[in-house]
Amino acid sequence: MPDNASYMVAAYVVAAVVYLAYTVRLFHRAIAALRDSSR
Amino acid sequence: MNASLNGSRTTIRWGLALTILGLAALVTIYVMALAYTPLEVRQGAAQKIFYIHVPAAWSAMVAFTLVGVVSILYLWLRDERLDAFAASSAEVGLVFSVVILTTGPIWGKPVWGTWWTWDARLTLTLILFLLFLGYMTLRSAVHDPAERARFSAVVGIMGMVLVPFIHMSVYLFRTLHPKPIVLKPSTPSLPPDMLRTLLAGFAASTVLYLGFVTVRYGLARYELARRQEAD
Repeated sequence: MPDNASYMVAAYVVAAVVYLAYTVRLFHRAIAALRDSSR
Repeated sequence: MNASLNGSRTTIRWGLALTILGLAALVTIYVMALAYTPLEVRQGAAQKIFYIHVPAAWSAMVAFTLVGVVSILYLWLRDERLDAFAASSAEVGLVFSVVILTTGPIWGKPVWGTWWTWDARLTLTLILFLLFLGYMTLRSAVHDPAERARFSAVVGIMGMVLVPFIHMSVYLFRTLHPKPIVLKPSTPSLPPDMLRTLLAGFAASTVLYLGFVTVRYGLARYELARRQEAD
């Protein structure tokens, strides 16, 4: 069996970073909108 | 506070809840794939990239198909909310496309021996990504809302037309990319353990798409409501 676990780890980390980065961006905007509209 | 501002707040809240649920489901997929799903003999650990790559591709194609469908509806009904949804789905589709276009080459290097090849499936996916990048650029370049919505609806429809070609590209062209193993007319060709993780991956990716797109749509509705209030 080929030893290529480092590629698997890299792919999982990259996917997590992309999803989390977008989540942070969305949450930041969403919380700002919710705060602004409740004023 | 007006009704549409209130509605957009509710949409944003639902979206945030769905996104948290989607992220929790994604963590579950990571655990299932890394700890409980058996290793494939020929590809080794790199095969497990498949459990995040294929569901991301599914969500991206759903997102871009919905952009096209909603854009057709916009050209017919001229409802700003449809344009807002199309823009939201396009942005979220781009996020999933980034996952496809990064995890794919990371899988390709150990399995094919190269990060990238100008294969039909890969090239068409890259073109789709660039087309929707153009879609987003177009939206930020046109300031008149009606014109922006009309122009981007046409681009969105063209993007949707590419989606079935991408799915069928592995049958239509000589290609290195593996053929579909689940989304095909015959029964899925995977051992049950692997199939379970992949199907759970599809579910997690769908919930994450729904969460992202709901928040993004809620934000777009909020901006529309604010604009209407200012007018």
